[in-house]
Amino acid sequence: MSSRDAILARLRDNRPDPNAHPLPPVAKLGDMDAGKARFENSLQIIGGQILEPQENDTLATAIARTFPDSKVICSAVPDFEGTIRIEDLDSPQQAASVDVLVVRSPFGIAEMGSIYLSEAQLNNLNSAAHLTQHIVVILSPKNLTANMHTAYIDRPEFHTANYGVLMSGPSATADIQGVLVRGAQGVRTLSVWWED
Amino acid sequence: MKVKPVNHALAAEKFIEDVAHETFHDERLWDLRQKRDEQMHILPEWQELRTRASQIKEHTLANLPEYLEQFEANAKKNGIHVHWAADGAEHNRIVGEILEKHGVKSLIKSKSMVTEECQMREYLEPRGITVTETDLGERIQQLDNQMPSHIVVPAVHKLIPDVAKIFAEHYHTDPNDNSAQSLAWQQRLAARPVILSGDAGMTGGNFVVAETGSFVVCTNEGNADLSATVPKLHIATIGIERLVPRMADMGVFIRLLSRSALGSPITQYTTHFRGPQKGSEMHVVLVDNGRSHRLGMQDFWTSLKCIRCGACMNTCPVYRRSGGLSYGAVYSGPIGAIIDPTFNERKYSTLPFASTMNGSCTNVCPVKINIHEQLYKWRRVLAEHHELPFVKREIMHMAGKLMGQPKLYRAAINGTEVALSTMPRFVLYNWLNPWGKHRELPHPVKTTFNSWYKKNRLNKQKEGEKA
Repeated sequence: MSSRDAILARLRDNRPDPNAHPLPPVAKLGDMDAGKARFENSLQIIGGQILEPQENDTLATAIARTFPDSKVICSAVPDFEGTIRIEDLDSPQQAASVDVLVVRSPFGIAEMGSIYLSEAQLNNLNSAAHLTQHIVVILSPKNLTANMHTAYIDRPEFHTANYGVLMSGPSATADIQGVLVRGAQGVRTLSVWWED
Repeated sequence: MKVKPVNHALAAEKFIEDVAHETFHDERLWDLRQKRDEQMHILPEWQELRTRASQIKEHTLANLPEYLEQFEANAKKNGIHVHWAADGAEHNRIVGEILEKHGVKSLIKSKSMVTEECQMREYLEPRGITVTETDLGERIQQLDNQMPSHIVVPAVHKLIPDVAKIFAEHYHTDPNDNSAQSLAWQQRLAARPVILSGDAGMTGGNFVVAETGSFVVCTNEGNADLSATVPKLHIATIGIERLVPRMADMGVFIRLLSRSALGSPITQYTTHFRGPQKGSEMHVVLVDNGRSHRLGMQDFWTSLKCIRCGACMNTCPVYRRSGGLSYGAVYSGPIGAIIDPTFNERKYSTLPFASTMNGSCTNVCPVKINIHEQLYKWRRVLAEHHELPFVKREIMHMAGKLMGQPKLYRAAINGTEVALSTMPRFVLYNWLNPWGKHRELPHPVKTTFNSWYKKNRLNKQKEGEKA
């Protein structure tokens, strides 16, 4: 017998009575506020930031002001130029040269301040979201969902994308003596730029 | 040859001798526990989430063969290669074969307790494959040649100077670096080239969704996503108990996991893998390694509900003051003490006794495992299977006899009071009395309750009857 069949047979012999353990129905619990203010507050708690536009600001000027030392600004959206386009990166490793990646997220989660990205937003170059030093995420307040329940129940992406990541602020670690360090091995900062 | 039981008490004693490390360890983990409490108080639905999480997990375990088959069918449809490993040896062989087929020389991996369980690094490295842990805490432990001491924060027992010394030796950095920020930066600098040249990436999996054929990985540093997205080959090693039926169930678990673990609302990365990246290959190895056997243990099967948050460790006074390494096992703390004996009853026979039975572990568990009750039940099992050390067994035996015979018990208690007040210390505090090792025996009372009752109440009652 294969290991697969042996494992399944043992599980069938050993399991508790399935009738004694019904599956509870799916439920949406908790705070249903899907507002911008709640998202911004959550984002700040997990170490992310809002790119606040100043007078006559465009995304390009806001990025130039926030990341003055950045040379390679990679765009994964049609409506922003950047210095290179994500389509021009030939391999997952090439994304390591990127200083700032600009990408559009299909939705955010107000409870957590998380933004979602999949291969559909990253032109199949998923490594770009993690090798870049900084990430700027374009997000519409219309695309906020209240919490983790509403996200998993309502958003179709969890059923369709091969790679889908909820990024909640920048990478972080507290593995050395409990000191919280933001900017561990993935992005060092995560910024959200609001669009209508 | 019979394997020797882990001497947890002795290892704990050594840990306690180092006051600086022990104090930090205790305070750091208690701080995590308090942060968890803060998060819990924000959510009025917290207890409902725990109840649902427990119900979903129990349902899944009772229907595990069907859900595993459903996952396998869907994952295959998505283009994932699914493998089944009965034990650690089979797991290692499967991984070794995949790597060999792709000519992999360098494997970059994120933290996975299952690969620790299987001792995968020890298997792969003699076969010419360099395995690099990319999680900071796990990397520190790898460089220091130690097991992880905590399932979420593997190097929590170390202080900054310890890490600086290890990095100086292996990364040639400043041995006197006293900044966690700068040491974390050194790890980033050291890991990047290894990640960029890695031939294959490996992750674990926190949850497996049967309905979609996907698995979910929850991490903070970004190293798991780097390991999974940079190389063209991704292998995920996952325990068969990690299933949930529906994607909609993930809401319950993600809301509980990081809040319980670190007191943060969510891990920085919650990644859903449903199939290979374009131009890449993806493998999932489903590992049994004793789990299907554990499912049949009436008193212990619910330990399979565990989502590896570590809340029980953070709250446990014994764990906080003895350190994870003192358990001598891959899984330490209260959850380790009820899981480890299923791997090797004799070797881990001491661990269920590393508890004050205060029940705090059960109270904080997000999936409502009755951990302290299982600790108690393990003690009974181990006693029945004669896995108790001589002194503990003989004391229990004598206590059992005494307590079964009231007259003998009373005589002994009166004798004890006399002994406690008259005997020299060396008679009272010796190897026959491990309890007295770090504790003072109670002060003798002038009179026991029983003799007081006899004198004051029984006599008075008799007098009353006479009157």
